[in-house]
Amino acid sequence: MKNLTISFWLLFPIVMLSQNFDNEDFIFLKRHNHFDINLVDGEFNIIKSVTEQGKFLTSKKLYFANEVLSFNSFSTIKDIKAFTYLPLENKKINVDYIETKHTFENGVFYSDQQTKNFTFPAVKAGAETHLEYQEIISDPRFLGLFQFGSFVPTLSTKLSIEFPDNISIGYKTFHTKNFPIEFKKEHKLNRTVYTWTLNNIDGFQGEEQSESLLYYLPHIILHIKSYDKNGDITSVLNDVKDLYKWYDSLVNNITENNLKKVHDIAENISNGYTDKHDKAEAIFNWVQDNITYVAFEDGLGGFIPRSSSSVVEKRYGDCKDMANLLYEMLNHVDIESYRAWIGTRDRPYSYREVPTPMVDNHMITAAVIDNDTIFLDATDSYVSYGLPSSFIQNKEALIGIDNKNFNIRRIPVPKMKENKTETYSEISINSNLVHVNETRSLIGFEKVSYISDFTFNKNDKTREEYLNTTLKLGNNKTMYSNISERNFDNKSSPLLLSYDLKIDNYLKKVANKTYINMNIDRTLSRSKIDLKNRKYSKKIDHKYEKAYTTRLIVPEGFKVSNIPENLSYEHPKFGFDISYVKNDDQITQHKVIYINALRIDNNEFEIWNNFIKNITRAYKKNIILEQLK
Amino acid sequence: MNKPSIFIILFFTITNCLAQYHKTYNWNESPVIHELTMEEKNKASVGILKKHIVEYAESLFGNQLKIYETEHLITHVNNDEGIARHNTVYIPMYEVIRVLDIKARTINSEGKVVVLNKDNIKEVENVEEYGDFKIFAIEGVEKNSEIEILYTVEKEYDMHGQQQLQDEYPIRTAEFVFITGETTSRIKAYHTEIPFESEVINNKLSKRLVLENIPAMLDEEYATPNANKVSVAYQCFPKEQNITQGMFWDNVVTNIGPQFFHKDTLDIVKTDIKNSIAETSNLSTFEKATIIDDYIKTNFTVVKNNNAELSNMDYILKNKSASAFGILKTYSHYLYNLGIEYEIVITANRFLKKFDPEFFNPNQLQEFLIYLPNEEKYISPDRIEYRVGEAPFNILGNYGVYVVKNFDYYFSQIVQSDPNFSRINRTVDILFDTDLSIVTLTQSQEYTGHWSATSRAVLNFYPEQSIKEYEDYLTGSGIEDKVIESYEASNTELLQMEYNKPFITNSVITSESLVEEAGDDFIFQIGKVIGTQSELYQETKRINPIEMQYPNQYDYTISISIPPGFTAEGLTELNIDKSYKSVKGNKLCKFESNYRIENQTIIITIQEFYKSNEYDLNRYEEFREVINAASDFNKTSILLKKIL
Repeated sequence: MKNLTISFWLLFPIVMLSQNFDNEDFIFLKRHNHFDINLVDGEFNIIKSVTEQGKFLTSKKLYFANEVLSFNSFSTIKDIKAFTYLPLENKKINVDYIETKHTFENGVFYSDQQTKNFTFPAVKAGAETHLEYQEIISDPRFLGLFQFGSFVPTLSTKLSIEFPDNISIGYKTFHTKNFPIEFKKEHKLNRTVYTWTLNNIDGFQGEEQSESLLYYLPHIILHIKSYDKNGDITSVLNDVKDLYKWYDSLVNNITENNLKKVHDIAENISNGYTDKHDKAEAIFNWVQDNITYVAFEDGLGGFIPRSSSSVVEKRYGDCKDMANLLYEMLNHVDIESYRAWIGTRDRPYSYREVPTPMVDNHMITAAVIDNDTIFLDATDSYVSYGLPSSFIQNKEALIGIDNKNFNIRRIPVPKMKENKTETYSEISINSNLVHVNETRSLIGFEKVSYISDFTFNKNDKTREEYLNTTLKLGNNKTMYSNISERNFDNKSSPLLLSYDLKIDNYLKKVANKTYINMNIDRTLSRSKIDLKNRKYSKKIDHKYEKAYTTRLIVPEGFKVSNIPENLSYEHPKFGFDISYVKNDDQITQHKVIYINALRIDNNEFEIWNNFIKNITRAYKKNIILEQLK
Repeated sequence: MNKPSIFIILFFTITNCLAQYHKTYNWNESPVIHELTMEEKNKASVGILKKHIVEYAESLFGNQLKIYETEHLITHVNNDEGIARHNTVYIPMYEVIRVLDIKARTINSEGKVVVLNKDNIKEVENVEEYGDFKIFAIEGVEKNSEIEILYTVEKEYDMHGQQQLQDEYPIRTAEFVFITGETTSRIKAYHTEIPFESEVINNKLSKRLVLENIPAMLDEEYATPNANKVSVAYQCFPKEQNITQGMFWDNVVTNIGPQFFHKDTLDIVKTDIKNSIAETSNLSTFEKATIIDDYIKTNFTVVKNNNAELSNMDYILKNKSASAFGILKTYSHYLYNLGIEYEIVITANRFLKKFDPEFFNPNQLQEFLIYLPNEEKYISPDRIEYRVGEAPFNILGNYGVYVVKNFDYYFSQIVQSDPNFSRINRTVDILFDTDLSIVTLTQSQEYTGHWSATSRAVLNFYPEQSIKEYEDYLTGSGIEDKVIESYEASNTELLQMEYNKPFITNSVITSESLVEEAGDDFIFQIGKVIGTQSELYQETKRINPIEMQYPNQYDYTISISIPPGFTAEGLTELNIDKSYKSVKGNKLCKFESNYRIENQTIIITIQEFYKSNEYDLNRYEEFREVINAASDFNKTSILLKKIL
């Protein structure tokens, strides 16, 4: 749907080129953006002119007539000219009603984002929509990005930027390699025009468990590097130094009026500890536990943290508020720490490639203890001290040292053994019922994701029902009892989850034989990739290892007449190993499954499917118990 | 949330001027945190007090009535989920003339109080379809603290109102105070037996409803929890006036009747019809209505915004854009011109509101249908996925007001003319490969009724990824390693000239996981062939009456070729028979599966149906057994034993 443009489609990736759009319901004939940049008395005057034309090839998806144009404190929209053109009738019908609206975005409490909403009139099969408007950009740092593709095919896309000789423009293209984009540079009368054009680009549709659109969609990020005023060169965003300088000037705007209060809390929390790590951990835990995440997006306020004292008083804040509070508290107890800007995993950029605010959307704190840098993100209430949040793994952090100096450091990716689930189960058979006594021990992101899912997605389900629908053990008749959780709130110890299961209809009894499958947990069995249709790489939230020790108690009066063979599959990025050992009256199955990557690339799909096929085959193996005569 | 109603009736007059209750109502100056029981501590949050005061009063210098509404909430939050549920507050400004006061505070477990800094209250204008809001985040909230909010707004006079008293979390005391003085008023409570107490507050006649220990409304399956919450609806008008419920309904009909029943045909409509339906054509009423329904849905757009022109016929016909009300008018013009008899139905989404003919409340007048009495069929003007047929399932079963040609009206429950409207017929032929590692399923399926409407909607309106996910469902969900070898769907177009024409799919899938190995033998997971069946859990006491999405029936025939050299054993579990019978002994819903063996082939027949849309809450266990019988079947397996 058109009105979901930005947020919805950003989640979604692309397709290859094709010329035949006959099967489409709606296409763009044209999507052109033109930037006109001028400097008047030292002030930038930036106008983005947008021209879009769409065509309804069928009358199915008339909802594409709904148009939504977004703007915020850094931009205004003016001169909207919109009409529907009906080629058969040669008739033009103007849009005569435009409404300015706010939306309550999911997860954002208050945002300065507003929209201009209207509906193209009289659309039907064959109708064309014509739209032109200007976006006035008030801050030269926010030229944004241009996407060559859209959610439906486009016949003609064009981006151009025109600027005088005293302004220097930088740009960086992404994922354009496989697309015949034409670039043209023209110069006349002291002005330069860069133009990129691309014709006939397919629509971009999303996929499950894939990375954000920005990983695939061909796009360009533009930025103003500098300008020359009477021979004096002033940098805007020439390199990351300029970006940092601006960020630093913004955080200097924080007005602290009652730091003592913040410092007192920091001292109180950390007083009992001598070791710096212990102190830092206590402070981090306090912020995680006591400051609730509430997101604001409000002009420059979206870049300037609120004072730490007000955050402590109000007990809520967004990422930058928490990052700044940690910074104040840690430094006060002599733990060297810094504010750090960072982009979450859905922003695939590096600061040095594109020194613009497009790179980041998040803020954390970096603490340095004994030459170790520890990244602290208190917006995730459940990560333990020392563990970054899952959504910033492997991302660059821009660490602000002082008003001139900064560091760029990459966030480490926790190893698979650091995100581990160990499961111990004992299976016994009582008549037609299978009883299982199970304990799971979870650490790292395995624990974090369990706790946050339990806290926010359990909803009205009972614990029994929640476990049944999330762990999916045995079959859908599995009954849980004696559920206990330990260390739910203790961040430094493994989460211990234990319960008893009673599974009806799980074993198969025929004559004197009982058939039972020891794989009551079949992790990954639904993870095959559809090679025919899948277009984009598969995203993995975190690396992990799952280790199982399962014992089956052979009931009295039975002998074991079949034990499955041992099976394994090994690849640097994923694998498993399943083995069976028989001792006296029990069979022990050892099973290890690991994923050692954050993404599975397209060229690895076949081998991934081979892995899934092998594990599915291993899951098919049953034990046969035979009643002694 | 109150939304503006299109049915505005104006009556004015005077009442005596008396002191308003909100002026003296206040929170406790020295708040203390409430002690929770063990059970309450396990909840994310617990409402200590949820109090609403609605006072109708005369304005100081005018003769017009105004409303003062006070909301007072005290909520104990126990964990992050509880904090996230209550720490942001959105106050709608719909009909609000001015805000008299907003205050909020938190009391933490040690008794420390943090009061909201009023500078942090933000204003948000024109939010989606809901109008303006004042919003703020609660300050000082932490686990095991209490949030208290008290505010009063002065609102424009509206003779109707409603308030929900139950919520997603348990509430110790919910209170509704209705102060109306000399005016004429009525109030009705829903989903509670507790009576209102009459009293006098500041010399004004008042009514008070106090409810203790209201359980959390649970999001249960086969239920309409949002429509089942305890709530009140009220009416209040100047004392000289006594408007009966009948007068309200008459008023609605007189207001809207002339807009839907015409004496002349508009020219554009005439031309459109001439272009869509050949004059000489011999089409039935049903076919004509279907063509016009499709024509409007593929040439007009229903728009949700504040443009008043969207219900003006000239504007609608020029711009082919209309509001939900405007599109209803549009239909009436086309149907009138075609000479098709119709009635206008106004009702509500049964998942949000149960329509009450006995108590007029504009909030239940949110959904519009057109009824074709001679055909006993409905048109859903603003539902692009439906064509002439039964009412959409979210309306089915609710009552509605039917407005007829002579500006008369009647109330009726909205039912299906064909009780067997929604069915799935499915045949599956199953073959094993020589070493029994792969199983092939050849399936053909016919979907009718609401199932076909949903399927066509997905295939016609949804993005590619959603269509792919839907194809996964259509080819058999729950088979984890399924490979779709072939798949085709027919009768996918929304426009079908035949009533309830089935949507058909044919597919061939293969799977390895369906056959498990056990030495020389194999275990075939036959149950998984019918797709994922969810178990209906109920560890806590069922709260909501049972309501289906819609009555439905499944008929499956599954044939399994027993591979040569093997015998099939352990088949008795395939026979399942569970039913729920009416008092007269008719099966209202059932799940029945049987097998037989013919020529080395196991033939399983399954019939499952839900003839009624509603089932007795007191017989929930019997209903659950039928639902769960499908999930019992889902776990059945067949042993394929090697003949030695």
